[in-house]
Amino acid sequence: MSTALLAMAPIDQLAPRLGPNDLPYALPIHPNLVHFTIGLFVIAIAFDIAGALYPVEKRVFRFLALPVTREGFHDVGWYNLLACAVVSFFTVAAGFFEMLLAVPIAGVKSTIGLQSMETMLWHGVGGVAILLAIVAMTIWRGFQRFLWRKDMGRQVQWLYLLVGLGLFPVLGLHGTLGAELAAEFGVHITADQLLASGQSLQEALP
Amino acid sequence: MQGLLPPLNDHNLPWTDTIHPIVVHFVIAMAIIAVIFDLIGVVARKPNLFEVSFWNLLFATAAIFVAIIFGQVEAGLAEPYGASRSILDWHSTLGWSLAGVLSLLTGWRYVIRSRDPRNLPLPFLAAGGVLAFLVVVQVTLGNQLIWVYGLHTVPVVEAQRAGLVG
Repeated sequence: MSTALLAMAPIDQLAPRLGPNDLPYALPIHPNLVHFTIGLFVIAIAFDIAGALYPVEKRVFRFLALPVTREGFHDVGWYNLLACAVVSFFTVAAGFFEMLLAVPIAGVKSTIGLQSMETMLWHGVGGVAILLAIVAMTIWRGFQRFLWRKDMGRQVQWLYLLVGLGLFPVLGLHGTLGAELAAEFGVHITADQLLASGQSLQEALP
Repeated sequence: MQGLLPPLNDHNLPWTDTIHPIVVHFVIAMAIIAVIFDLIGVVARKPNLFEVSFWNLLFATAAIFVAIIFGQVEAGLAEPYGASRSILDWHSTLGWSLAGVLSLLTGWRYVIRSRDPRNLPLPFLAAGGVLAFLVVVQVTLGNQLIWVYGLHTVPVVEAQRAGLVG
């Protein structure tokens, strides 16, 4: 009996609870939290840029009869980033849980030429690195807001905005890896997993 | 329509990847965070957050029209099958409705903000609750299209082209 237990892979302990998508629930959580990580980060940086360039755009807003304050823009930059940092811990946690249960379709190479394990490693390690970057940016942003630039109209350093903008393509590439895990390797997609196991969608997903 | 687009790839798309799910980051995140910041603003008496909510709401409204444009093109190329047909119909209908709801709420919010930016009437908070609910329903429908039915994923497109899907 003990040999039978030893031969059991850890994944088998969960197996009875997993659906055809290899998850204990129908819809994955990580890709839904990703909306918040990416959306909040991008908009946070965008509004800090709007706050930094305020003297230039002031007239445009007056023309549009849209009352605007510089502090308002920087508030968006700060609070959205803060929310991004908080939610991103859950994004990464859910991502790791769901990656533990991932069963990529065998023999596939992604559009950018990576195999499934390479894609998962880059996406997993990259995800932690991006979480660290987001937290570091939030701390940096906090120092600017509450200490270094407390009494200044422009609440952020140009370097901060530059680093933020530099992270956009990183997020884009990282997101592409994640999208490929789904749409090319079929990870956690019911229809793709059914097809990979030789089932007919007409019967299994009427 | 097909004649206007570049040739379709193995996702049955004229571009590398689905664009709609990327654009909806900005609708989902901005709409939901606007409601959350409004709630915190009222409960914790932090009127600064009302301004943050206003901008997020405005951005969600701008983004949803872009999301709908790409959504319609990609839905047109999705070749839904089985129950995903009616899910896609509901997703489209609710998507257009949400564009209306978001526009109305943003207009209402603009008026509220013009009168007194440091006070949020409770009816607006309730409307925010309805908005958040509709967004959650819409996200669940969209999730089913990709995570259950795998629309625009390579294996499903492959099976569809081989005539294996109804």
